[in-house]
Amino acid sequence: MTLDFSWLLDPLYQTWLLRGIGTTILLSLLGMVLMFAIGIAGAACLHLKLRFLQSPVTIFVELFRNTPPLVQLFFLYFMLSEIGLTLTDPVTGGRIPLFTGFTCVVLSLGLYNGAIAVEIIRSGLLAVPAQTVEGARSLGYSRLQTFRYVELPIGLRMSIPPMTSNIVSLIKTSSQAVLVAVADIMYGATQIMLETFRNLEVMLLIWVIYLVIASLAVLVVRRIAALFRIPGYGS
Amino acid sequence: MNAELKLFALGTAGVTLVLAALLVIVYGAETGPVLQALAARTPLLLSGSPDFSRFEGGFAANIVISIWAMAIAAVAGTALGVGMISQSSLVRTPSFLLMNVLRNSPWLVVLYAMLYLLPFEIALFGTVFSFSPMIKAVIGLALPVTANVAEVFRGGVEAVPTGQWESARSLGYRRLQILHRVVVPQAIQFMTPNLMTTYAMLFIGTSLVVVTGADDVLSVARTVIASDGAQYATAIYLYVLFLFFIFCFPIAILTRWLEQRVRVRQ
Repeated sequence: MTLDFSWLLDPLYQTWLLRGIGTTILLSLLGMVLMFAIGIAGAACLHLKLRFLQSPVTIFVELFRNTPPLVQLFFLYFMLSEIGLTLTDPVTGGRIPLFTGFTCVVLSLGLYNGAIAVEIIRSGLLAVPAQTVEGARSLGYSRLQTFRYVELPIGLRMSIPPMTSNIVSLIKTSSQAVLVAVADIMYGATQIMLETFRNLEVMLLIWVIYLVIASLAVLVVRRIAALFRIPGYGS
Repeated sequence: MNAELKLFALGTAGVTLVLAALLVIVYGAETGPVLQALAARTPLLLSGSPDFSRFEGGFAANIVISIWAMAIAAVAGTALGVGMISQSSLVRTPSFLLMNVLRNSPWLVVLYAMLYLLPFEIALFGTVFSFSPMIKAVIGLALPVTANVAEVFRGGVEAVPTGQWESARSLGYRRLQILHRVVVPQAIQFMTPNLMTTYAMLFIGTSLVVVTGADDVLSVARTVIASDGAQYATAIYLYVLFLFFIFCFPIAILTRWLEQRVRVRQ
């Protein structure tokens, strides 16, 4: 078996790949923002024991954590087009769908990994020493202030190690975007495969690119973890 | 078990209600006919055959694929895990590298790569083994899961106090004997909940085998949508979500219960 990577010299294929990498990174970043928003909000509801929100949040977490993100993506993609939410384009006056494939991918990434993030952040909050919380309370902080200024900043730092694997999982999951025809890196790869028939070589290259992106993400998170390290905690 | 039972009841009832409510919101007055269409297609989605005559496709295929992939990953992952705690860095470093590569690769890419990397058939000692899409799916899923199992194995072994190693060594056991007879039997209780989580993750991952052309539940769902019309798409995907949930949620609850028990015993 010989591997032939000469197609990589073609500038057209290079643009497709680079654009795909850009889309994948953008998808992952937006997904991460949504993931953190959902994770923090959900964990706050559970941690503060908000009476009417606890059960809905639990149901939400269990639903999205125990079902495949791919099926969630297909479901969102079809349901949102079924409901037919559209926007009026101010330039052309035409109607464009509000939820494109791109939006659906960001939503499904944020929902699936966000549901996992809720549990991660919640266990981080539980790891905050009780004395610290008591101290804040005795200084006159309200329950919400304690959460905002004491528990959340410490709890988020406590949850960095499991959050790293969740972020890597989100980046890996973003490869599913190709299945709803979003032009991410996998999409570029399938296009190149269709034209060059070098299936194996393209897939191996894509594999390496994902490994590099995931490893870079791990390095960045490590930097962040080092910056926000609490002296005396961890190694 | 009480808190977990409560959570189980809340989760099962709540998710079923939420999914049913979504169905009604999307279809409104048409919910009745849609439910009838779903009921008619249930055997196909569950077993891949219109009358439950065989269990080779649909949701049954997902279960079969996940069990085979887990079996392969358990064996390969244990071997990789033993390599990762080896004393010789010649074995340890490559094992770590392999584990990190496998753990950071997207499952979808591995599945695609297996599709092109594995031959259609292979002749071995005169017999021809053909690689069906199903077998490719099993191998493609087993690879990344191997890394997870190896990590679980390493974590479990490291949770056993080092005194156990020392006393076994002073009794004259060799390294692999210590692992096999002293450490792993104690580590199994730490490993079990994590292995179950890994299995649940793998089962969720079986939804991806749709790209290899295996006859899994998502492939069947797409065929049904293509034949019955796109208006049923939402209902069918809701149904598939429900199937996955009903399979994975009890595993998650059981895992949590086991974790609690391990923690209490410590």
